[in-house]
Amino acid sequence: MSDVRIGIFVCHCGKNIGGVINVPEVTEYAKTLPDVVYAEHNLYTCSAEGISSIRQKISEHKLNRVVVASCTPRTHETLFRNACEAAGLNKYLFEFVNIRDQCSWVHMQEPEKATEKARDLIRMGVAKARLLEPLEEVEIRVTPSCLVIGGGVAGMSAALNLANQGFEVYLVERDKELGGLLLNLNRLFTINGKAEEVIIPLIERVKNHQKIKVHTSTEVKGVAGFIGNFDVTLDQKGEERKIKVGTIIVATGAEVLKPVGQYGYGDKSNILTQLELEERLNKGMGDEQNIVMINCVGARIPERPYCGRICCMVAIKNAVLIKENDPRAKVWVLHRDLMTYGTEFEKYYQKAMEKGIRFIRYSLDKPPEIVGNNKVKAVKVYHQLMGKEMVLPCDMLVLTTPLIPHEDNQDISRMLRVSLSEHGFFLEAHLKLQPVEFATDGIYICGCARWPTDVPEAISQACAASAKAVIPMRRGYVRPEAITASVNEDKCSGCGTCVLLCPYNAIELQSKDGKKLAHITTAQCKGCGTCGAACPSGAISMNHFRDEEILAQVEALVI
Amino acid sequence: MRNETQVKKSGFEPKILAFCCNWCSYAGADLAGTSRIQYAPNVRVIRVMCSGRIDPTFILRAFQVGVDGVLILGCHPGDCHYIDGNYKTARRIHMLKKMLSQLGIEDDRLRLDWVSAAEGKRFASIINDMTERIRALGPFVR
Amino acid sequence: MAKLKLACYWAASCGGCDVAILDLNERILQVADLADIVFWPIAVDFKHHDVEAMPDKSIDFCLFNGAVRNSEQEEIARLLRDKSKIMVAFGSCAHLGGIPGLANFNNRTQIFERAYLEAQSNDNPDKTLPQTSSKVSEGELELPEFYDTVKALNQVVGVDYYVPGCPPPVPIISKVIDAIASQKLPPKGSVFASDKSLCDECPRTKGEKKIKKLYRPHEIIPDPEQCLLEQGILCMGPATRGGCGALCIKANMPCRGCFGPLPSVSDQGAKMLSALASIYDIDIKDEVAMAQMVEEVVDIAGSFYRFCLPTALINRRRM
Repeated sequence: MSDVRIGIFVCHCGKNIGGVINVPEVTEYAKTLPDVVYAEHNLYTCSAEGISSIRQKISEHKLNRVVVASCTPRTHETLFRNACEAAGLNKYLFEFVNIRDQCSWVHMQEPEKATEKARDLIRMGVAKARLLEPLEEVEIRVTPSCLVIGGGVAGMSAALNLANQGFEVYLVERDKELGGLLLNLNRLFTINGKAEEVIIPLIERVKNHQKIKVHTSTEVKGVAGFIGNFDVTLDQKGEERKIKVGTIIVATGAEVLKPVGQYGYGDKSNILTQLELEERLNKGMGDEQNIVMINCVGARIPERPYCGRICCMVAIKNAVLIKENDPRAKVWVLHRDLMTYGTEFEKYYQKAMEKGIRFIRYSLDKPPEIVGNNKVKAVKVYHQLMGKEMVLPCDMLVLTTPLIPHEDNQDISRMLRVSLSEHGFFLEAHLKLQPVEFATDGIYICGCARWPTDVPEAISQACAASAKAVIPMRRGYVRPEAITASVNEDKCSGCGTCVLLCPYNAIELQSKDGKKLAHITTAQCKGCGTCGAACPSGAISMNHFRDEEILAQVEALVI
Repeated sequence: MRNETQVKKSGFEPKILAFCCNWCSYAGADLAGTSRIQYAPNVRVIRVMCSGRIDPTFILRAFQVGVDGVLILGCHPGDCHYIDGNYKTARRIHMLKKMLSQLGIEDDRLRLDWVSAAEGKRFASIINDMTERIRALGPFVR
Repeated sequence: MAKLKLACYWAASCGGCDVAILDLNERILQVADLADIVFWPIAVDFKHHDVEAMPDKSIDFCLFNGAVRNSEQEEIARLLRDKSKIMVAFGSCAHLGGIPGLANFNNRTQIFERAYLEAQSNDNPDKTLPQTSSKVSEGELELPEFYDTVKALNQVVGVDYYVPGCPPPVPIISKVIDAIASQKLPPKGSVFASDKSLCDECPRTKGEKKIKKLYRPHEIIPDPEQCLLEQGILCMGPATRGGCGALCIKANMPCRGCFGPLPSVSDQGAKMLSALASIYDIDIKDEVAMAQMVEEVVDIAGSFYRFCLPTALINRRRM
């Protein structure tokens, strides 16, 4: 004899179900199903009477499984689960059967067939309910501190935000100084203010903040654990230090591509990158009168198909600065398309044209050519609109190159178990639904590590990422999904099929008695079950959607 | 398990199993309901959290017990609640279809499609289309 | 202890299982000490009527190898079941259907046409096909009927133990002999193998399970240290019971799955398919890559069900 005792509550939902499906007949049918010891039908099972009836019948009939056949779990599962819990029954011993949204409402002209379908659905629901197992929900404490990796404008902004809200921040920068890329910039578009006027005060505020512990010349060597409980190993010139944090923000930035070998860069003395030009502009330009800039150098090419996004604006800014410095200078910007999005940037571009800066469009199949041996003397470019080649005199050639991901992004992504995009930048969980969050809980992303951004965007993202990081830290705990996958170690052979499948990097192979076995960090598991579907040993069980449960539903479909 | 005579006697009404993911296609099915879109009563839905949960074993078992057709409905590519569960599903089903063809199971009997939470109409039309295709194929008799 | 009585039989099989028993080498003498062979067509000359004459359950154990594909094999399987206390499905064919089970991708008509009419080596001008009766000068002979569907032994008679392998490796056969000799038998229905997959005992290093392309074994020279599947060779190891000692793997060849599915798995092919498709690192929107993936697994069903089609959920091609 089975000790499973199922109670079924079939809902009329007023006329919504009862007007189509023969509810009393279906209820009688339900009584004939295996392990069903009680069945009733209610006008509204979700009403106060319905809910109290569920609670009452659980104790009266010693029910240890409850099935409600009514609307949809998407709206009412929580209500019925709570009713079970209130009666002392683990809420995961509840099963929902949808006979309204997916039955009576969509087969209104075919009451007999709808009734037959309701019978089938209830039979399938009961088949699953018989096998349901109780699940426990746990709470995990969150350490109220954050590790920010990268001390550029994004990392520092994030750190300040967190610290100002009272959270401890460890700000780790591998260079000797805080500041990042901004340290090497001259002025910032569109206000053309000095970069140092932005970055120096920010550095000061960060350094002087009591809640921020700055670790320069330091790298993150290891990260273990999960949201709320990351154990981090820092390495400061060979000296190791362990810290515990609840959250992590990745703000490692990017670097400017050095176009070695392109257009004679490296061979000819008067060729600079935009970054090198910034330094010249800062120190004071020479007497160059003819300046040619080439955009999209190393970007939007087959090997690096992405658009650098901010480089057009950098080129325009520097062209404007040259013109402002010496209005007699001639500046040509050779570009493939101009990325001057939004009203501000478009206005800035207009201003540049008004100043007499010439923009010439070239195409990738007819790239500009340089003339001159030791120095560039002229640049030949095919003018698409005029349909002829132009020869531009050139005293200084400036190459506009994109930001590229750091080479060691791969190492950081492995260490944190977060994803990289095909281009090598960090990849958030979802472009639209979860920007600035990684799929791995408790780890966030901002600034150029994610994608080339300008300063205001980096700061906005830093605000967003730190605001996201505050949520679990402020609450103090996280309650991970109870419906998670688990590994039966007696069945696991450590084949490793599951490890890379997990979108949340919750699975790893761990050594146990000399053998490697799959281990799921429950706190990281979201319960999608893709690992269970793939496990060739049948060692992974996806709780609440176990193989046995789903197969029982399948088998119950056909009688 | 049904046998041929039972099927012949009763006239053929396809029995179709649909696996729907909680976040997109199951929600799309609910929307068809709230919109009162009427469709063929031949499909029985099993809800899973993600289409990535669907083990090809479930599908083979369904055919073994006499289900006439199996539908796998997930989120559109790029919209998966679990990032890319539906990608794994797509690869599995693609490979499974080839295997089913070697086992003499017609291509139309297994269908993978995408339905978003906003696509109640699309859900209904997939159900109708599937039902008609299976009706044309006749019962799944082994 | 009185000497045990042992029967061996081969049904639809290649004979390799019988040879595997002889591969016990000097231990075969222990078998001879332990048991009297009362029936073993390949080795000793007892006849069908000798077995029929035995009282029921008078044979202590029967090692039955081969699948069941005709009425004669079924008849003897039933006879031996009646006469034996312990029935052992010996080898992949009896256990799961084995290589002969691949015939389930066709039916009798197709097989006969291929074997007796189409095959280039035939000389059959009268287009004679196997019959269930034949007139000879002494009268009419009744001949075994060839079935449409090949079956594993347990689909015909009750089976007490399973010894997997194509053929069963000697150490496992020794273990079976020891278990019978010491009367320390595992629970009925047990499979004499590991309950974990081959990966558990595979000596190779496992790295990232992700493949871009699948190779057939002759197309590349695999690294002898690294997981074969990760090198793009279809190794059935993850979906196959271990216990064989990773023999093929040690010869730098992939596992082909002869030990059958893991205890919690009802369909070896479905599971291997799911695992393989999961680790294929290709974009589903890339139609060319998707089409290529399916082509790369040459003969998907044949590869995944190489030894187990008759015991798979869908156990034959629908006709």
